[in-house]
Amino acid sequence: MGASMVEIKNVSRKYKNAVRPAVDNLSFAIPKQSIFGLLGPNGAGKTTLISMLCGLFKADSGEIVINEKSISSNLKETKQIIGVVPQEIALYSKLTAYENLMFLGQMYGIETNELKKRISENLKILGLKENADQQIQTFSGGMKRRVNLIAGILHHPKLLILDEPTVGVDIQSKTAIIERLKRLNAEHSTTIFYTSHHLHEAEDFCSHIAIIDEGKLIAQGKTTELIKENNCSTIEEVYLKITGHRFRD
Amino acid sequence: MKLLYCIYKEFKILIRDKAALAVMFLMPMALVFIVTIIQDSTFKSVNETSVPLLFVDHDKDSVSIKLEKALIQTNFFKVEKKEISEEETKNLVAEGQFLIGIIVPGKTSVQLREKAKTRISRLFPQEDSSSKHSDQDALQLKIFYDPITKESFKVSVSGAIGRIVSAIEMQSMIVALGEELKDISPEGKTGTIENKPLVETVQEYAGKNETGIVPNSVQHNVPAWTMFAMFFICIPLAGNIIKEREDGSAFRLLTMPGSYLNVLLGKIVLYLVVNLVQFVLMLLVGIYILPSMGLPKLDTGHNYITLFAIALSSGLAATGYGLLIGTLSNSQDQASLLGAVSVVILAALGGVWVPTFVMPELMRNISSISPLNWGLEAFYGVFLRGAGFGVIGIQAVKLIIFFTACVGISFYYQTYKRMR
Repeated sequence: MGASMVEIKNVSRKYKNAVRPAVDNLSFAIPKQSIFGLLGPNGAGKTTLISMLCGLFKADSGEIVINEKSISSNLKETKQIIGVVPQEIALYSKLTAYENLMFLGQMYGIETNELKKRISENLKILGLKENADQQIQTFSGGMKRRVNLIAGILHHPKLLILDEPTVGVDIQSKTAIIERLKRLNAEHSTTIFYTSHHLHEAEDFCSHIAIIDEGKLIAQGKTTELIKENNCSTIEEVYLKITGHRFRD
Repeated sequence: MKLLYCIYKEFKILIRDKAALAVMFLMPMALVFIVTIIQDSTFKSVNETSVPLLFVDHDKDSVSIKLEKALIQTNFFKVEKKEISEEETKNLVAEGQFLIGIIVPGKTSVQLREKAKTRISRLFPQEDSSSKHSDQDALQLKIFYDPITKESFKVSVSGAIGRIVSAIEMQSMIVALGEELKDISPEGKTGTIENKPLVETVQEYAGKNETGIVPNSVQHNVPAWTMFAMFFICIPLAGNIIKEREDGSAFRLLTMPGSYLNVLLGKIVLYLVVNLVQFVLMLLVGIYILPSMGLPKLDTGHNYITLFAIALSSGLAATGYGLLIGTLSNSQDQASLLGAVSVVILAALGGVWVPTFVMPELMRNISSISPLNWGLEAFYGVFLRGAGFGVIGIQAVKLIIFFTACVGISFYYQTYKRMR
């Protein structure tokens, strides 16, 4: 696990008319095959960083390297190896779960028979096989989140980026999603980059954690080491110790 | 291949959206029914054979018979004959039951013959002539007009009636001349003078295929509301784009390999097909359904390839406009408002509701900025003038340039502005 899947080098990004940069000279690395949690209060710069990792925003300065290639000069290649699970339910509500997954898989260029096999397998694992032909608009929040996850992993990405994948779901769906991600990490060596406000979930799930606030990195390391170094018993304690109790929104 | 998947996805979404389907197909058909029926009488009063004319015949002799026959033969008047007084005639016209009332006084024919004989006999003076009395007073035909009649219409109607009366007058003179010549001929025999006109005017429409179709309510309203329907799809199309952006699907698609242009093209192709289906349905309404309701049948002319080219370029302009509205709007509400208001304004300017040929000159000039006007003018060209692509090509080129500009701005805005 020595090499890095992602290297963020002195990256800054400031929105037009904003008082301060959303991401301010940020540098850290995400080891290959790790489950890396990015934590931070609202407005810390997490979503901006994800957008830059996906190639949607350009950094004002600095460099992002994914799988040893600079994203700015290898965007097409990079997009092929990353999978994204947005915070929104990025699915077509009038299409069925199966139709959504077929369309998104086809957009990744997956061969049709192989795609059908992967869809069937994932729907079964996440308990949605019986609902495959129902329109997404009839699904519960948890079911939508599970389909949202499948859409991001169909092409077996080397790096999976998840923006709060378990927000607003029941414990059963949350457990199913986390288990699926762990299995993906173990079986396909997928590096997982994950943001969440659920700190207990992050502590259990992530091998590495970084905490950012106001666009700056304020802590980073292996989850267990981070707790130990800060003389705390949980990540939540570490988080509050470092970021304080001030509201950020 | 990815483009095909995008088209298929859009198709599936569209056929499950009942409200959008109703807006795209039922609304324009309902509009073309209603507006064509409402406007039909207005178009007829200008173009067709239904100018109601009251003919009051107190003469009952050759002049009134010839005049009535000639009026009917013009195919311009719907002649109704009554035996009533001058006062009653005036009242019926004043009440609006007839646009025109004509009274032929009693003994008009007898007096005309006498006057013609008197004038001709003066060409051959004789001492014991009985035709020395004066014919200074002209005979009078009384014509009443409905007070709402426009001056231009009055002038053209009085011109037409004047020509008929002149012809009857001339015929009487020729008859009188023939009789006079018979009297002075040594053998009492003369030939006959033909009463055929020596100069004829040949009139035809300046269309390429010489079909000479006169515009009617169907020929205006079917292409006009087809253009409106085509552009009105900007609302569901813009809504589709914004929904994709709001629910995060656009974000996901932008993180995938391949150009986002495929996604936009998928929408353009599907909505273009919708536009062409709308076009065919509206033509079928004009050809089969409107005539069954007593309205004129739509004559599409014979340049079907040109017709298709116009429909295609109009459809491209409409989808491009929808794409632009969807890209520039920040919410579905904003897109609905902006799309509906802008299309209604462009339609009003473009001559969809009120044809441009009845607009004042200033508005006619302004209307030429509306893409709906470009399409409508091109359809008029094919339907009414039988124009080929060479003639209406400029309108098609304008529509395609409009489409290219809309797509270009949308793609630039989507790729470089909103995301960066």
